[in-house]
Amino acid sequence: MSRPVRDRPRVNPEAPDNRADVLGAREPLPGRQALLLAALLIGLVLMGLQLWLLTVALDMYLAGEGESLWLLALVSGLVFAGGLLAWRRSA
Amino acid sequence: MSGNGRRPAAAPAVNRPASPSPRRGGTSRWRGEFPYHWDADDVVARRELLGLAVLASGALFAGTAVLAAMGRLRERRRGSARPVARLADVPEGRAYYFNYPGEDDQAVLLHLPGGRFVAYSQKCTHLSCAVYFQEEHNRLFCPCHDGVFNPQTGEAVAGPPQRPLPRIALRREGDTLIALEETP
Repeated sequence: MSRPVRDRPRVNPEAPDNRADVLGAREPLPGRQALLLAALLIGLVLMGLQLWLLTVALDMYLAGEGESLWLLALVSGLVFAGGLLAWRRSA
Repeated sequence: MSGNGRRPAAAPAVNRPASPSPRRGGTSRWRGEFPYHWDADDVVARRELLGLAVLASGALFAGTAVLAAMGRLRERRRGSARPVARLADVPEGRAYYFNYPGEDDQAVLLHLPGGRFVAYSQKCTHLSCAVYFQEEHNRLFCPCHDGVFNPQTGEAVAGPPQRPLPRIALRREGDTLIALEETP
């Protein structure tokens, strides 16, 4: 993990330091950092799953087994709907 | 970027964007529209990141859904009954090349040892190169990437292809072979 922005050496030491204004509302509380990291990793795994589903769907389509593709689309759609829900709740 | 190499004065805080006033006597307009300090310009809000991830997820779902819809709509069986060759044209252990189901679709008819006839599309299931029959090795071979198919079944046995060749159903009528349909 990279260091938090407020701990890094400053690019322009001459300019007034207003990083606290910029970062104050953005950095998570200390206890929430791990939670956010876990959520990010779960999201990445789910997107990897969607990518895998797409490749399986393409393979099945080319093999002429198009009848059962709806199941793959359903799982991918559920992952997308979950992400959409999380995005709307974060507003 | 200023021409004399001097850096601009401090930018306003993100929570207090500057008013779009003219340069003199106030803050520049670009700072109001882009209020990040350059020490923090690599910060991406979590909501922005989540929005991009949801967008990518939606694109992946759309791709899968389109394939599912196309799989529903596509005809599995192609072609109609058509004579393709006379038995005398294909000696045992030899191949006969013809076009089926369309005029541009190449296909291969094999007379296997034992008198059995089989026909396959010549389109390799890897990248659609034309496969041909190698009599000396008794195999269907794709020269593009050295893919090999079993002439008895059409199954891929070596190289990059993973799926069997599309099979063409045949019927014998007297001394003529009739192609009925192509199935994947």
